[in-house]
Amino acid sequence: MPSEIPNPRWPWVAIGLSAAVAITLAMVSPSDTVQGDLVRIMYVHVPAAWLAYLAFAVTLVCSIGYLFTKNLTWDRLAASSAEIGVYFTGLAIVLGMIWARPTWGVWWTWDARLTLTAIMFFVYIGYLALRKTTDEPRARANRAAVLGIVGAVQIPLVHFSVVWWRTLHQPASILRPDGPAIQDTMMLWALLAGVLAFSVIYLSLMAKRVELHRLNDTLHVAELAADRPVAGASVSSPDLDEGTADV
Amino acid sequence: MPAATVIELSDIGVTAGTTPILRGIDLEVVGGEIVGLFGANGAGKTTLLRLIATLIRPAAGTGIVLGADLSGDDRYDIRNRIGMIGHVPGLYPELTLGENLRFAASVAGVPADAVETSLEAVGLLGAIDRQAGASSHGMQRRAEFARELMIERDLLLLDEPHSALDKDAVELVNGLVGKIAANGGAAILVSHDRDRVVAIADRSVELAGGSLR
Amino acid sequence: MSTAFRTQVVAVVDRDLRRERRRGDVLWVTIPFGAMALFLFPLAIGTDSALLQRIGPGLYWVTVMLFGVLISVGRASVETQAQRDAASLLGLDPAAGYVGRSISAAGLLIIFEVILGVVAIVLYGFDLIGIPWLIATLFIVAIGLGLLGSLAASLVGSSSSGSALVPLLVAPLAVPLLLGATQAYEGLRLGDSILPWMLLMAAVVLVAAIAGVLTARPLQES
Repeated sequence: MPSEIPNPRWPWVAIGLSAAVAITLAMVSPSDTVQGDLVRIMYVHVPAAWLAYLAFAVTLVCSIGYLFTKNLTWDRLAASSAEIGVYFTGLAIVLGMIWARPTWGVWWTWDARLTLTAIMFFVYIGYLALRKTTDEPRARANRAAVLGIVGAVQIPLVHFSVVWWRTLHQPASILRPDGPAIQDTMMLWALLAGVLAFSVIYLSLMAKRVELHRLNDTLHVAELAADRPVAGASVSSPDLDEGTADV
Repeated sequence: MPAATVIELSDIGVTAGTTPILRGIDLEVVGGEIVGLFGANGAGKTTLLRLIATLIRPAAGTGIVLGADLSGDDRYDIRNRIGMIGHVPGLYPELTLGENLRFAASVAGVPADAVETSLEAVGLLGAIDRQAGASSHGMQRRAEFARELMIERDLLLLDEPHSALDKDAVELVNGLVGKIAANGGAAILVSHDRDRVVAIADRSVELAGGSLR
Repeated sequence: MSTAFRTQVVAVVDRDLRRERRRGDVLWVTIPFGAMALFLFPLAIGTDSALLQRIGPGLYWVTVMLFGVLISVGRASVETQAQRDAASLLGLDPAAGYVGRSISAAGLLIIFEVILGVVAIVLYGFDLIGIPWLIATLFIVAIGLGLLGSLAASLVGSSSSGSALVPLLVAPLAVPLLLGATQAYEGLRLGDSILPWMLLMAAVVLVAAIAGVLTARPLQES
């Protein structure tokens, strides 16, 4: 076990640079004719949502990888991606609410995509909760991989059901959560810069999270190998010499 | 012809989370052997039995039971050749003794008429319709022995086999263990009742400090 | 499906239904609790009959989903380690155990749905339309919830906090069942085709069944 845990700088540099570019473009891009400056929330909300979906897709692939290879690295990747996906989903939902309140006067609408995103949020919260209730690494990896696959495979069915449901009950308004299509080139660049920045954040967080999981597992193995007394050593012969006549 | 090896454990370790329960366990049991396993409370006897029964995986070392690797997938294939009676009954309390055994017979692929035969052999035919939860601990143990009589096992693992049993039932247990050994199988008896087990066992081993002596 | 597999499935279903008949959890606890929930809604949201007639089917299906899941987890969680060990050493195929548990859960869920359905019709006053389709819906939802509930129960295993987690795991994945059941009723009311919804629910059931059977053995060693 290394005496010093490596803490490379490149992720921070990459995040700093890409975030700086994204924020600059978001600030200098023109405001929307309808939404005004509120449109700038989109440059964070939309990338967060896209990366969340990507993160969950990575969880699916890595869960399959674990079940086939039984290599715990796949499990660490799946878990890390799910954690980041949950944070990004939460962020996307909250930012969407902040955008919706002044725009439509409501915190929430039952749009198909929003509803599906909320459902996915619950599915992966459940995934993380399941991991928390299982201590043993192999058992945890097995269970999480199964839920990761079952959850992801059921998601298209959930998607269909929600979309059909909203198609039948589409309200008269044609408002959509991401508002009018982006037509200005600067806005498009700002959005792409946001996607790039979030991708860099995702990769950096993944690297750190996977490393942390690996270190945790190394610690677990080291604790096992350590010369700790077996559980039975805590039981000794009772000592009845001291006067306890009432026993 | 030398008897086949039924159990071969080499440097086995078992943990619960990060707490070691067993460490450096070496054990060899051949067909026809009856082995007594003794040890203080909390020494890990039940854990060792469950490991041999393929119900838990070793964290270290190698183990072969009835030809199957304890760390591999082939351990599922030998499970129905291993009988285990723990000190906690594995019967469903809501079901009658007969229903419990009929469930076991169906799952194990044993003909249904074996249920009454084996209950009679253990002296419980009169209680076939009594709910397991309403039966005494001793009756439940007898019913579990009836289950093991019904199914052909090559390895029998008994945790406190003589506890809660009257003299007749003790004879029964000894008879069952002897029958399996005579057929080339093996049995391990965990017990605090040293005298009774030593009387029928071929040898004894002591579990202390997580290791076998 | 081999004879041995079928025999084991039947044995597990028989075991579970007998245990439930003797325990009476579903009859005396889950059904009354579900009926109580249906009763409480109008107390909270208003007793206007037109409103209740309109939202009644939705309230019914949500109650079925949330309380019905307790049927799957209730039985699975009352199996002790000793019972599980004994069943394993009988050579019980984990997949047969899963299928058997799902079938018995589905059977109990159908009883639950029917009794609660009567309560809902009495309290909310909506009509029974397209009875054959409604019966089909009852079956598909019961089977789907049985499969998802048993799968979730296998996932959480015997951990003490596990049984509280099962409803959280099942609910989001059961959304297509909820939407299918409610939209099917709406469709019947309006005279639309409800086949797409039935097929969608059937797809959920199929995916859950395949996933449960394929993952039964890897999960058991957890």
